[in-house]
Amino acid sequence: MDLALISSFAIIVFSGLIHASFQLSVSVLTLLSGHSLGRKTAHRKVMRLMNSFITGVLVLTLLLISAFAYYMTVFIRHSATTEQLVAAIVCGLLAGLGLATWAFYYRKGEGTALWLPRNMARYLSSRTKATKNSAEAFGLGAASVVAELVFVLAPMLAAALAIVTLPGVWWQIGGIITYTVISLTSLLAVFVLVGGGHRISRLQAWREKNKRFLQFVGGGSLLILAAYIFVDRLIGISLYGAF
Amino acid sequence: MSQRIDVIKARGKRPSEEFNPGKLKQSIIAACLSLRAPEGQAEEIAQAVEKGVLAWCEGKSEITSDDIRRVGAAILQKHHTEAAYLYKQQLTVL
Repeated sequence: MDLALISSFAIIVFSGLIHASFQLSVSVLTLLSGHSLGRKTAHRKVMRLMNSFITGVLVLTLLLISAFAYYMTVFIRHSATTEQLVAAIVCGLLAGLGLATWAFYYRKGEGTALWLPRNMARYLSSRTKATKNSAEAFGLGAASVVAELVFVLAPMLAAALAIVTLPGVWWQIGGIITYTVISLTSLLAVFVLVGGGHRISRLQAWREKNKRFLQFVGGGSLLILAAYIFVDRLIGISLYGAF
Repeated sequence: MSQRIDVIKARGKRPSEEFNPGKLKQSIIAACLSLRAPEGQAEEIAQAVEKGVLAWCEGKSEITSDDIRRVGAAILQKHHTEAAYLYKQQLTVL
């Protein structure tokens, strides 16, 4: 493996981890499992609902990252200048989002309420409560990705930028799958914990206790990724040329 | 409960409605069941909380939904700490 390939995969993996650190889908999944258990739903059905929710998140994440990668391929068309321009925009987005995450990712006060429009939060909350079958859970998963898009857009674009510079279609497909799977790790952790009988209150208490740390890590990671892409994709291309 | 008690919801941003102790009871049962508490225990705890909140409501014609959650959680705390935590957190998870 050459260094350019390793660098691209490093960006994809790191972007996926940043995506996984964002908490909206985790909050919705926690609520969904809580409401389902509270309705005396059988354990197997709770797991089925959670599974459908995660599948909804997976499908939309896969579609979005594929779409971003496709549009970037069309836009960049092997031109170093255009790639630099896109990299500069992505850097700006990552840095801005990193600072914004530090400043106001969580709302003030108790709990893990996130900075997202209250109407959207109320809608997701009521939909979570009303979700009783797999199709609704699938739709809820997809909706939570859309609601989280303002936060995950920058890491997705960074990953897409790295994916389009991979040599060949199979590498690119591998990059897309890698990003999608890594971005789901936090949801898979909740799925395994709830499936293993862990109490939701303990999960929520852990999330609340560590929310400032998660916020710091999320914001910091975005800034580190911005700096890495700046050096690797802006200065790097200027010095050595594209591809 | 003899007189009507109105519940002011979302600090007046949503229309107020008559206090329904059954709704409170269901929320408490759901919070207990989501922690895998036995159904009988959840029912008993919910009755105790409902009774406590109704006693607190005596003589009041208007209360807020925040009041119900605060008072309900305080009573629930004595019976099931984790359920009280979850009940309090329900509106601040998202």
